[in-house]
Amino acid sequence: MSRAALRCSACGSSNIVEDALYCQAQQVCVDCGSVVSEDALSSESVYVGGSDVSYSRTTAGAKKPCMNLIIGVQRVISICRILRVNSEIEKLTQIYYREAYQHESFIRVSLRKKEHLVGCCLLLSCRLLNWPISMATISSLLDADPMVMGMLYIEMVKILNIEAPIVNITDVMEAHSHDYQISSLHAPEELSESHKDLTKRAVELVELSADTWIVTGRRPIPIMMAAIYLSWQSLKPNKHRLKLSLEKFCQLAKVNKHKPAIKRITEMKEMLCKLGQEIPWVREAVTPDNVVKHVEDILKHRHALLRRALRAQEDALLAERQASCEDLPIKEDADNHQLHGETLKSQDPEPNWGKRVLFAPPCVVQAKKSRVEQPELTDVTGDEEISDSEIDAYIRTPQEVREFALSQKMLE
Amino acid sequence: MDSSNDEALDIIITNVVATFRTRCHLNLRTIALEGNNVIYKPEFGKVLIKLRKPKITASIWSSGKIICTGATSEDDAKTGARRLARVLQKLGFKVRFSAFKVVNVLAVCSMPFAIQLIDFTKKNRPIASYEPELHPAATYRIKLIKATVQVFSTGSITVTGPNVQNVATAVEQIYPLLFECKRPLCK
Repeated sequence: MSRAALRCSACGSSNIVEDALYCQAQQVCVDCGSVVSEDALSSESVYVGGSDVSYSRTTAGAKKPCMNLIIGVQRVISICRILRVNSEIEKLTQIYYREAYQHESFIRVSLRKKEHLVGCCLLLSCRLLNWPISMATISSLLDADPMVMGMLYIEMVKILNIEAPIVNITDVMEAHSHDYQISSLHAPEELSESHKDLTKRAVELVELSADTWIVTGRRPIPIMMAAIYLSWQSLKPNKHRLKLSLEKFCQLAKVNKHKPAIKRITEMKEMLCKLGQEIPWVREAVTPDNVVKHVEDILKHRHALLRRALRAQEDALLAERQASCEDLPIKEDADNHQLHGETLKSQDPEPNWGKRVLFAPPCVVQAKKSRVEQPELTDVTGDEEISDSEIDAYIRTPQEVREFALSQKMLE
Repeated sequence: MDSSNDEALDIIITNVVATFRTRCHLNLRTIALEGNNVIYKPEFGKVLIKLRKPKITASIWSSGKIICTGATSEDDAKTGARRLARVLQKLGFKVRFSAFKVVNVLAVCSMPFAIQLIDFTKKNRPIASYEPELHPAATYRIKLIKATVQVFSTGSITVTGPNVQNVATAVEQIYPLLFECKRPLCK
């Protein structure tokens, strides 16, 4: 944009001069004094202190420390301060970052990936020094895709040859529950809960879910959200709390709702119902609607209730088997039924263990039909004669080709 | 495929991937116009042909390299590849069937017991890796036979390897390790 073409937007004059306010270059209209345009206050180049000539072409003797490594280490320190981890973790993360950065498989990756590397090193040192933190937390802090970070983490662990213990969901629970702002400071008296009570009950609920196949193989955060919601409801199961849906609860606690949490809530309620039915002093039927008020009792006596429920299931199965064994010889066409029973067994060689047991993961209970292996073509070498008529089924005649080309043209 | 128990484990092969070359340049437009069951993808520079028997999808490049996927056994893959070469021959290309190689075999297998994944990972540390936040299965890579086994806590496993024999060996190798970390069905 040449200076002659510039016009002041306030008065319309084209009398514009170059001026400077300290180190900021500006273009100012002489007639009215308004600033037409200005440069940046300081030249922000990522390569602070870097030169235009690359190291390999310079005649410099000593190699200057890589600027991006220094920036990366500063990022490590700032993230550690944000998360308020202790100084040992900070030091360890720095060591790992330097090592990983200078390894041949990471030295040439993009700057964005090097930022992800910061998160991976932090995750590794937290796990080694028993500081419970989840990958989702770190990736949301770095605004990164958790999958990308996860792949990088696995690669890094393999390269650095370190064995890190796996984080237990119950450890992360406490850190996660602090996210929810429902203490008496943030929420009305009726709806508030102290963190300690909430965490304690949620941890018990998560342990119970882990025993009953709700936790295995699922992402941790929706499970934690479901556990906190149910514990919050059960700590004071009055009408007000029971009516509040998950969405309103998340709005109250100022957290983002996770959709899978609704499914987890349903699964947890079903599991609690199965245990609630075993409570001896409860007369009415326990349904998912009224199970929340019994949650406290269920959690208090969970081991005993689990044992009772499993024993009841075993007895029921035994009774069923005995009944089916007695029925067969009594029926008139006993042979037919026996044959029928045998063919049934041969079709389904491994009866679904999900149906036999009280608690099983949903993917086993509603199992997809197992693929029956097709009888393999024996003596197939690939050198057989393939008849011409069969091959012709795959080739169009010239007439068909013309019609096809015409129809394609018409469609375009 | 037998385990140390009385029952035999069913290993079901779900996918076999094979490649071969035709040693001649192929005109993709001609194939797209004159072939039946053909999908032309000009943006990727390839043509897909789906054969009905054996059920195979082949990706054909103009350089003459062809990848066949979807077969359920190695022999099926070879028959399908030959059939495809015959089709291309009939279309008028001077095709010579060469360099046939099975590249990848994917199989699934179901154990009659559930598995404690955390226990399994701890016992087989550097070879097995488990990140519950990323993927619900633990990955076990056997370097010697170049096979990867993904172990799910429900007892199902998926095995990928360069050929069917390696896949069977991988299942045999991993069975005792899984049996050790069996999870009692009650809880």
